[in-house]
Amino acid sequence: MASYVLGEFADDAAICAAARGLREAGFGELDAHSPVPIHGIDEALALPRSPVPLIALVGALLGGSGGYLMMWWMNAVDYVINVGGRPAHAAPAFVPITFETTVLTAAVFIVGGLFALAGFPRLHHPVFEVEAFRTASVDGLWLSAEVEPGRAEVAAQELRRLGARQVSRVDEEEEP
Amino acid sequence: MSPPEAAVVERLDPLEPVPVLAGRPGDRELNDQLFGPVWAPTRRGWLVLFAFSATFAAVLIGAVTYTVATGIGVWGNNIPVGWAFDIINFVWWIGIGHAGTLISAILLLFQQRWRTSINRFAEAMTLFAVMQALIFPALHTGRPWFDFWLFPYPSTLGLWPNFKSPLMWDVFAVNTYFLVSLLFWYVGLLPDLAALRDTSKSLVARKAYGIFALGWRGSARLWRHYRIAYLLLAGLSTPLVLSVHTIVSFDFAVSVLPGWHTTIFPPYFVAGAIFSGFAMVLTLVIPARKVLGFENVITPRHLENMAKVLLATGLMVSYGYMAEHFNAWYSGDRFESFLFFQTRQRGPYAPVYWLMMFCNVLVPQIFWWKRARQSIWTLWVASILVNVGMWTERFNIIVTSLHRDFLPSSWAMYYPTWVDWSIFAGTVGMFGTLFLLFLRFVPSVSASEVKELRRELEHEAHASAGH
Repeated sequence: MASYVLGEFADDAAICAAARGLREAGFGELDAHSPVPIHGIDEALALPRSPVPLIALVGALLGGSGGYLMMWWMNAVDYVINVGGRPAHAAPAFVPITFETTVLTAAVFIVGGLFALAGFPRLHHPVFEVEAFRTASVDGLWLSAEVEPGRAEVAAQELRRLGARQVSRVDEEEEP
Repeated sequence: MSPPEAAVVERLDPLEPVPVLAGRPGDRELNDQLFGPVWAPTRRGWLVLFAFSATFAAVLIGAVTYTVATGIGVWGNNIPVGWAFDIINFVWWIGIGHAGTLISAILLLFQQRWRTSINRFAEAMTLFAVMQALIFPALHTGRPWFDFWLFPYPSTLGLWPNFKSPLMWDVFAVNTYFLVSLLFWYVGLLPDLAALRDTSKSLVARKAYGIFALGWRGSARLWRHYRIAYLLLAGLSTPLVLSVHTIVSFDFAVSVLPGWHTTIFPPYFVAGAIFSGFAMVLTLVIPARKVLGFENVITPRHLENMAKVLLATGLMVSYGYMAEHFNAWYSGDRFESFLFFQTRQRGPYAPVYWLMMFCNVLVPQIFWWKRARQSIWTLWVASILVNVGMWTERFNIIVTSLHRDFLPSSWAMYYPTWVDWSIFAGTVGMFGTLFLLFLRFVPSVSASEVKELRRELEHEAHASAGH
């Protein structure tokens, strides 16, 4: 069980400053929510490097080598089709499909990786309990902190001190 | 916010370039405007258009059912014209799709801002066009219920597809293209789906958009991954789109038929695809921006830039024609010169050839004039002519080359049947139906990207004011 404390801020600079402030005050599980990426928030939240490029690379390598090996095994090993005496293992003729499987697998890995990192699909999240949070996808800039229920009030006060225009608190319900 | 039309038209300084975004609407205003068509009650005009295209979509279903139930003998295809309307329409629709990927991926990598308000639109066009394209080869196999044989799956037959055939390359290229375009489009749509969820007035809409939004919270942690993922997808789509029409052209270029067996085919096909795709974007975007009232986000600047792309790709296509004719003459091959200088120009299908030359070579030349690029009507009519021209190009390549074989004894004419025409008209109807549904239920201009564009423009204005 955890509590979420949400604060709304006026602009990019304010929310970045607040994110730094909360982090210095020792709150760990922070996140910002906005309709478009906030300038400077990555540094303010000290976010780690994204693993997406690595996931894409793994996907591309698997897709490329998998595609080529598939064609080689099927056309040159398991079922050799002799067309006018041309070689069964014909590397140049395997290039186009190798390219296509590389791109397809990389794209599927990128999107799959993105969804896995986001925890999608997760249709409900405690922050959605706050009605005003609906502005986060339209024009609102929100900072959220996941805290122990006991520290929620401290976090709320800290958010107000850092200039939040409105502060809300959501307590996650106990699992039945 | 000033009225959109006035903001665009009232430019005091004629030397000031037309903006990519007229005015500086706030985030909420942008949402209200761009989501307006989704939340507004269904309009009469939309219903009329929808009924009209749905009728043709029904014709498609009828004609396809008839073809499958009877066999493809109901088409006009014969020997020697074994490829006809089915392949013409396949190549035509695939080509149209290419502009969507070009706008969304290649122009993104080149940081062309004018792509922002038309990319969602063009990507939707890509998806729907590729769907139409896929119908044709699927039917042309003759027994479409066995189409799964095209995929390598372990079967009791104990055999595998021949991966050395360009036709198999096509299967992989087109399916990859469709899937990657779908992923790219959907990922780009997520922020707007979440905004739709959050601005919805009814519970049904909130749940429906909520499910598709997958629980998007605009999280900074996710934005970080999202932006990289989106750029990488663009980077992958860029060579992909070039590969697709290249591979389609291999279907022809790898054979020995005069008029097909040319090395110019891959670049010439890619240029032609982009040419026809931009024409289709213009055909669709010109009425849509007017009806939806999006003139401040899809400004004359966008239309003018697309006209310039039409001119450039039109010149590339013309170069392709020149190279083909030059090679036919320079090679000294009697069959090649017979095809290019007799059959095509003076044969029974000569009107199609001359119509192609008129639409694809002459018509785009009008865009050397700024006045033509800025005239909505000129643009719209020219874009339709280019679509016609690109269809006649594929007719010319496929039917004209096939109907005069090497042996005069095997020469024969090709005439499309009513089933051929019905399927073709039906795909246009199906495309229109899907596009109208898209305009009704999905914001056709990306609100989140326009918001970002506005921030960038403001930032620049601040920076230049500071100097």
